[in-house]
Amino acid sequence: MDIPKAKLLDLHERMVRIRVFEEEAGKLMESARIPGALHLYVGEEAVASGVMCNLTDEDQITSTHRGHGHLVAKGGDFKKMYAELFGRATGYCNGKGGSMHISDMDLGMLGANGIVSAGPPIAMGAAFADKYKENGSVAVAFFGDGASNEGAFHEAANMAATWKLPLILLCENNGYGEFTPQARHQAVKDVADRAIGYGMPGAVVDGMDAIAVYEAAGEAIARARRGEGPTLLECKTYRFYDHVGIRGMGVSYRTDDEVLEWRKRDPIQLLEQRLTEAGVATTAELAAVHERTRAEALDAIKFAEESPFPEPDELLRDVYYVKA
Amino acid sequence: MPAGPVGIIANPASGKDIRRVVARASTFDNQEKRNIVRRAIAGAIAAGATEFRYLPDGYGIVSEAAEESAADASFAPVESPGTASALDTIRAARQMHELGCSVVLTLGGDGTNRAVALGWRDAPVVPISTGTNNVFPRMIEATVAGAAAGLIASGAVALHEVSSVAKLVHAEIAGERDDLALIDAVLLGDLFVGARAIWDSTRLRLAVMTRAEPAAVGVSALGGLLCPVSSTDDHALSLTFGGEAFVVAPIAPGLYQDVPVKTARLLPLGEWVSLEGPGVLAFDGERERVLKPGQEAQLRVLRDGPRVVDIERALQLAACRGVFRGGAIEVGHGD
Amino acid sequence: MSTATGTRTIPYIAACTEALRQLLREDPDVFLAGEDVAGYGSVFGYTRGLLKEFGPKRVFDTPISEEGIVGLGVGSAACGLRPIIDIMFMDFIGECMDEIVNQMAKMRYMFGGKAKLPVTVCTMAGAGINLAAQHSQSLESWLCHVPGLKVVMPATAYDAKGLLIAAVHDDNPVFVIFNKRMLGVMGEVPEEMYEVPLGQARIARAGTNFTIVATGRMLPEAMEAADTLASGGLDVEVIDPRTLQPFDTETVVNSVKKTHRALVVHEAVRFGGLGAEIAAQLQEEAFDYLDAPIGRVGAPFSPVPFSPALEKLYVPDAAKITAEVQRIVGKAG
Repeated sequence: MDIPKAKLLDLHERMVRIRVFEEEAGKLMESARIPGALHLYVGEEAVASGVMCNLTDEDQITSTHRGHGHLVAKGGDFKKMYAELFGRATGYCNGKGGSMHISDMDLGMLGANGIVSAGPPIAMGAAFADKYKENGSVAVAFFGDGASNEGAFHEAANMAATWKLPLILLCENNGYGEFTPQARHQAVKDVADRAIGYGMPGAVVDGMDAIAVYEAAGEAIARARRGEGPTLLECKTYRFYDHVGIRGMGVSYRTDDEVLEWRKRDPIQLLEQRLTEAGVATTAELAAVHERTRAEALDAIKFAEESPFPEPDELLRDVYYVKA
Repeated sequence: MPAGPVGIIANPASGKDIRRVVARASTFDNQEKRNIVRRAIAGAIAAGATEFRYLPDGYGIVSEAAEESAADASFAPVESPGTASALDTIRAARQMHELGCSVVLTLGGDGTNRAVALGWRDAPVVPISTGTNNVFPRMIEATVAGAAAGLIASGAVALHEVSSVAKLVHAEIAGERDDLALIDAVLLGDLFVGARAIWDSTRLRLAVMTRAEPAAVGVSALGGLLCPVSSTDDHALSLTFGGEAFVVAPIAPGLYQDVPVKTARLLPLGEWVSLEGPGVLAFDGERERVLKPGQEAQLRVLRDGPRVVDIERALQLAACRGVFRGGAIEVGHGD
Repeated sequence: MSTATGTRTIPYIAACTEALRQLLREDPDVFLAGEDVAGYGSVFGYTRGLLKEFGPKRVFDTPISEEGIVGLGVGSAACGLRPIIDIMFMDFIGECMDEIVNQMAKMRYMFGGKAKLPVTVCTMAGAGINLAAQHSQSLESWLCHVPGLKVVMPATAYDAKGLLIAAVHDDNPVFVIFNKRMLGVMGEVPEEMYEVPLGQARIARAGTNFTIVATGRMLPEAMEAADTLASGGLDVEVIDPRTLQPFDTETVVNSVKKTHRALVVHEAVRFGGLGAEIAAQLQEEAFDYLDAPIGRVGAPFSPVPFSPALEKLYVPDAAKITAEVQRIVGKAG
């Protein structure tokens, strides 16, 4: 595949933006500067970025409880995102959604979601709308290995295949359903195997390799845009941090060796190595992306922390749509 | 007298890549692979095998079948680094060699068998196809493939009676480790390994193939539809790509493309073909090695690869020798 | 019977079909989906003929996948369509409560008002035709308890059409709960499109010295009871809330301020039913006007039984309503 240099740098930048956003968000949570709990996307950056580099703002995605990465990769604004994590009025959801419901309808990001596997039926509905309107757009449902055991996933997959909807079921298989290892929650190791049962193609891709994800997702998305129906694409990946926060609750459920092995395949380092070896970018150029992103994040955090909390009347606003 | 244990290498990742999306390749789910292994083991035990060594895969593809047959034979896993990559297969093949396995049953495609050869260059193999590009392994019922392996393991049939040595493409890459391909080595105009599979023939620059099979799929088919070269021919084929003339070939299952071919040349065994980066070298259908700009590499074909068991021949010999017979049964000749 | 103004007397079910037809004609973004709504015309027959007129793009059958059906409604509404989805029996909402409660109802609020979900869910409630415990329930209070949902329950052919049209025109998720025993009830229905505004109760019968609030299929039972009671000299006012969420407290409170006594009737189980909420609101807003405790008639606290002998005991009717009114009046007396 011929990938333009600008696209490769775009892919890299999206990954770095996720990493930096999440590292800073994790620190905010663990120092209790923000309320609530976060599920951080560190380690899985290649997946969201590889997919999103193939989408436009007219394409929809549904996300998961681990949703910041998807919004960042889809073009989310750091200020509005951090403000939402702080529960401030300037946040994406006026402070009313928080980490698990962060969304940007203008970017086609139909929400992070606190309910495991609630996204696929919604993305299926979005894909239906795309097909109905014949607008050439596609929808991507991100979900995990754990979510693939929910009935909602099954219903959405079956309907999408039956109706040949432009939907990508994008499994981020990080090997754990919350704290339960995959071998104890499902008898198949490759969630993509399930595609056969729905009558759609399924494929497995290395989710730590951003270029592999970019290529594979690109093909599945192009197929959907051509009207050839849904694809189940499984990316094998890993969360470098805990289920919640960075260190989690300190309960051991996976070995240090396992974490270290996966960390050796850090998706950002892997991509940076390839880009420098191929002469696409210099180490200094790539480092500059990290630096300016970090500065942007810190600036956005300052903005968020200085932003006001929502006014009391916000409590009852937008329970319903009210005609102006 | 038993010749040695049967090795089993079932690649859990075979038959799953993006060619299920870009082409019309079959998905080999792991339940199907388990069933194939069960059938192969049943065949091998029926033919007299008593000992098995296998690559543990974390998917239970072999271990579940092994548990079922534990009363009839002994099973032991080799050590696996558990990388879920070709490295597991390479290490397993090497250990099977060291453990004195008499034959190795492989489940996968060309890529899986290439990994076996990387670990044990002249491994005795019974290759069963569960992959995508399958020039090397046979589309054959696992029960009888297992029986052929069992005949060799039990000593009922000798390996040299029923095997032939496969050709290999040897790749030497300047400043880096050598590499191998069982069927084809291809230079692509890519910068990255990416999703590994090859489906865009406009990226092809040069190919060297041990076999050019008109009835196969992949780069070998592309050569085969132009100038067939079989596994028994003592030469290879090299192609360069580009220009106006083309060959219509299935570059992946169900995916035909007009592939522009500039030159085709029958390549004597042992003769080097030189090439230079930038590009990506693909072996047996998968992008594997990145060549930096100016980095040199050379390819040549030798007949020094795995010893491939002829399954029909093994079973015919077994029939002649009464391996599957109990007691005297007269075979009449007409009236 | 046609009149000069285009009003005819037609059954409730035909009013539903007519509303759907007019809605589909009016707006190309409206589509209708559900189990057997297209080829079969719904098991109740209320979507019959629509596939033929509008084709399979706009009227289509779904797999038996309630959670997927609601997801279809949520996702497509969030992307600018105006779906009408059908959950065949109300009992089946158990299959899709996550998409209803956690997604459909909350999306707008959770997203800070940036999402709009103009989705209508039609479903069929009610006991009395021997369909047993899983095809007979009235579960409206489940839905009324969830902020973000609107719930209507038409009790006449006129309201069936007008509420359905208003529901689809509304930019919020609205549940339209029909009652399977009312499908044949005749009523006057205008030919043209009209809306019955959401959140407005109707005084079905004006009266002066007792208020009965009756929802859905309990309306005709309450009307019959009112007739019976009238012959005994009690002038009963009957109110049909029509919309259960948002609830028109004002109309009910005004009535009770006039009549000083009230009974709330619904087909759902009495415990935790909507009657409890209405009674609570009345005592908050009109305590000083009340001459007697507010009564409630609802189904007993059991699943809906199958046997006709038991089901008859289960579903509230005019006799029970009459008896309860008389008990309250006696107490007040």
